[in-house]
Amino acid sequence: MTDSPSAFLKIKSHQLRSASLWWSADGLGAALFAGALAFWLGSAIAGRTPLAGALALGALAFSGAFRGFAQARGAVQGQIAATAAKQALRARLFAAFLPTGFRRGRLPGEDMRTAIDDVETLDGYIGRFAPLRKAAVLSPLACAALAAFGSWVAATIMLATLVPFALGMMLAGTAARVEAERQHLALSRMTGLFVDRARTLPTIVSFGAENRVTRQIASAAQDVATRTLRVLRIAFVSSAVLEFFAALSVALVAVYCGFSLLGILPFTPPETLDLARAFFVLALAPEFYLGMRRMAAAYHDKQQGEAALAAMEPELAKAERLVDQARPFEAVPKGLGAENLLVRYDDGSTIGPFSAQWPETGLHAIVGPTGAGKSSLLHALVGMVPVVSGRMVAAGQDIMPGALNPHIGWSGQRPLLLPGTLEDNLLLGNAEAANWRDLAQKLGLDALLDARGGDLVIDPVGAGLSGGERRRIGLARAILSGRPILLLDEPTADLDAATAQRVVDVLHHIAHTRLVIVATHDPLLRGAAQSTLACP
Amino acid sequence: MKQPLPIALIAQRKAGIAASIAAALAALAGVGLLAISGWFLTGAALAGAGGVVAVQAFNYLLPSAGIRGLAIMRTLARYFERLLGHRDALRGLADLRPRLFARLASADMAEMAQRGGGVVAAHLGSDVEALEDLAIRRVSAVSAITGALAGLGAALLAGVAPAAILGAGLAISMIATRWAAPRLLAQPWRDHGEALERLKGLYGEYAGASVELALFGQTSRVATLLAEQAAALDRARLAIVRAEGLLQTLQLTIASVTVAAMLGTSSATLPLQALAALAGAGAFEALGGLGHSFLQRARVDAALARLEAIARLPERPNRHVSLPPQPAITLGSGADTLNLPAGGRVRITGPSGSGKTRLAMTLAGLRRDAPEPALVGGVSATSLAIEALRLIFAVSAQDAPLLAGTVADNLRLARPGLSEAEMWSALEIACLADTVRAMPAALETWLGPDGARLSGGQRKRLSLARALLAQRPWLVLDEPSEGLDLQTEKRMAQALDTWLRDTGTGLVLVNHRPGLDWLAQQVYAVNDTQLR
Repeated sequence: MTDSPSAFLKIKSHQLRSASLWWSADGLGAALFAGALAFWLGSAIAGRTPLAGALALGALAFSGAFRGFAQARGAVQGQIAATAAKQALRARLFAAFLPTGFRRGRLPGEDMRTAIDDVETLDGYIGRFAPLRKAAVLSPLACAALAAFGSWVAATIMLATLVPFALGMMLAGTAARVEAERQHLALSRMTGLFVDRARTLPTIVSFGAENRVTRQIASAAQDVATRTLRVLRIAFVSSAVLEFFAALSVALVAVYCGFSLLGILPFTPPETLDLARAFFVLALAPEFYLGMRRMAAAYHDKQQGEAALAAMEPELAKAERLVDQARPFEAVPKGLGAENLLVRYDDGSTIGPFSAQWPETGLHAIVGPTGAGKSSLLHALVGMVPVVSGRMVAAGQDIMPGALNPHIGWSGQRPLLLPGTLEDNLLLGNAEAANWRDLAQKLGLDALLDARGGDLVIDPVGAGLSGGERRRIGLARAILSGRPILLLDEPTADLDAATAQRVVDVLHHIAHTRLVIVATHDPLLRGAAQSTLACP
Repeated sequence: MKQPLPIALIAQRKAGIAASIAAALAALAGVGLLAISGWFLTGAALAGAGGVVAVQAFNYLLPSAGIRGLAIMRTLARYFERLLGHRDALRGLADLRPRLFARLASADMAEMAQRGGGVVAAHLGSDVEALEDLAIRRVSAVSAITGALAGLGAALLAGVAPAAILGAGLAISMIATRWAAPRLLAQPWRDHGEALERLKGLYGEYAGASVELALFGQTSRVATLLAEQAAALDRARLAIVRAEGLLQTLQLTIASVTVAAMLGTSSATLPLQALAALAGAGAFEALGGLGHSFLQRARVDAALARLEAIARLPERPNRHVSLPPQPAITLGSGADTLNLPAGGRVRITGPSGSGKTRLAMTLAGLRRDAPEPALVGGVSATSLAIEALRLIFAVSAQDAPLLAGTVADNLRLARPGLSEAEMWSALEIACLADTVRAMPAALETWLGPDGARLSGGQRKRLSLARALLAQRPWLVLDEPSEGLDLQTEKRMAQALDTWLRDTGTGLVLVNHRPGLDWLAQQVYAVNDTQLR
């Protein structure tokens, strides 16, 4: 499924229909109130039985409960429809964003804003605005039809005030969209800033830079406030236009009915009104615009929803394209080749071209001065940087970068631990790996396991593990995945000489049965390798 | 009633007088419009039925002009009520965000590390947003009180009983809402906030490990896990909508029953009955804003509680203790004690996991879990605040954390007022100047999140350049040459040695690679027998 997110808005769900019907039904409750009140006043002149009076007041009292019920049903049904849309959208966003975050280079905070906060705007957009929009068409028409029973001239007056009103709203809507998109951008920047500066706060404080960073946050927050106010101003102008027409419509109806009752209209009225009919029409007049006033009140929801979806669309399309490209390659790779792989980053800088041919097994090194592109080459092989030309070959076939990933055990420059326990992390690539304690012992992690246990919970700060420990956990995780190709970035960094030697021994042993490619500066590891690819 | 909390006050203070006046006018005009229309219409009907004389005696000019005037007044007043109310609220919130951030920045270092970026973003983002209602509440209250008083005044024209009934109805509506709203809404709003915070926290952690997720085929597992967390959020939201619907039904029912009772008990003339009934309905409408505020109160309270947790974080202790400008360092105790005068150089050694990093970072004030005593100017580093220690130590940490920003943004962190020339000379010493020069926008090149554009060795060197720029009497370097080729490592060591000598700066070095050993002749071996 590759629909754009806005396709969600065209969903025709049962709940959405039912929500707009309930919101429209609210108008019936209003008519009941107006009718009961009009009857009470009108029949007072003609004289009424106590029963009729009691019935009228009973109906009036009941009208509120009915309206409350109808509105609540409308809101709940709308929310159910919104929930379904949100869940479908989240499923796509999570699946597309999580594995491609590094490759797309967006701030994790910005991705989070899109995948979580932006999705929440659908509560307003689908849950409230969508049903109210339908009801805004349905309920004035229903209202005018009911009013026509009392006075068709008044009903015509109500309908006539709709035309200039609709024109005014259209103009405001266009201006609003532009501002809403700017506001959304400012919000997204602010969230990105919050996440990043909170993450790096200890560093910021250690340089005594917290006041400067706080000022930066203050200015981003100011920017959001200014933009939000601009959006609101337009929304309020729209509402004011609406209320003006609503008030105008009430005033015109009141004046028409009053003069008609007095019999001093400057023309001969085409209908005769009595108090009950006139009052019914008057009490119904504010309800004529209520549907649209509700829609206008939810207009901000629409703007936010649309701006969020507009911003989401390109990023989701990009992420889904990347996920699609890396369709897994099923056959066992049996060695790996690269021919003139060229990496070009978004800012135009290039790295490569790289060419290499690795056999099915053995320990192979990639070396070169710092910044020469060793890590970029490893990332290119797993499709994490943009490869613009060249080919990758495995099992005699051309393959897309990233397609081999299910066959690759990976340990990057800075191995990241996932939330969960230490054991979860070690067994990430293969939950059934039975020999994990043996391997941990060979890598010198046994002391750590004995002291803190495999059920040590990894917290956001890495549970106080040292750099060398994290590196070896990442390494063990890659080895335990049992995958035939291992891509390891500096596996002996942050380690003392004795521990580094143990790592080299383990890798040497594994290389009998698997292909192990290491990017390294370490002469020890380099010496143990069967081949060396030098990056320029 | 409990003392309004400081952050609540900031949000509320901003709701200005102008917004309140506009709110009062809007409510007055709203009730007046309905009341006069009803009275006018009924009066006109009676006059119309009474014959020519009655019609001529009926003053229709004043009420019909009043209707038009009130309609325009209501429109304008409502516009200004909303605009001014929200403007003041938004300004208050924009002030609040940096204040909270500053508070977090002045708290204990462990507090900062504990909260992931996602959680903080949830607090400073959506939780602060929820406070908007707090600022608007006062405006709503003005509007509700004015509307209620206007309604009561109009009802009095129809008799004491209808007025008393309206007063009772309005009071019951408010009291019932205030009583029921927290009972129905507090729990779902708390659930909602907690679910959102958990979801963001988890998302933030997983999103950082994007490559690992992709390579180990964890995407669908994690996506499912996040979707479950999000479902909790959706459940809470639906519960909120349900409860709000229930409360609104309650309010509307009370309103219509009240109006019916007012009519049933009034013995006034018909025009005044009509006036009273419609004014009553108008009064309930004016109350709506405050009623909505009561519904929001649970949400606001839940957000406030989470924000209070940050606002009430105690400041780091000993923030104002100061050290001599060039203090000596003492490591270890007993026979193994090592004393280093200002400008000395030491290398910390020990097997992986023994606590070298912990010792170095404790000195610099970033951690408190050194395996052995670490004294600065004779005072234990764990008892000193970072305010004192950061004037002494400039740190390049093992994971070399970088800001999302440009090369220059990261360097400027070191010290305010840095010139470009200073930045370039620091980059030269760190052997990174050529690399930065070759970047598309040199110093202004955007590095992406956490320096994603840089190789491991490059980020280490950028972090080193930043530490050099801070010009502190001691430099703390944790594995500064990891990720560097031997030649660059050698060049960097030479340049660093010269710089240290020229500036008289001391060095605390943690390294595994022998290429930097010669920089520091003195060695301190960590012997951590007790594992954490």
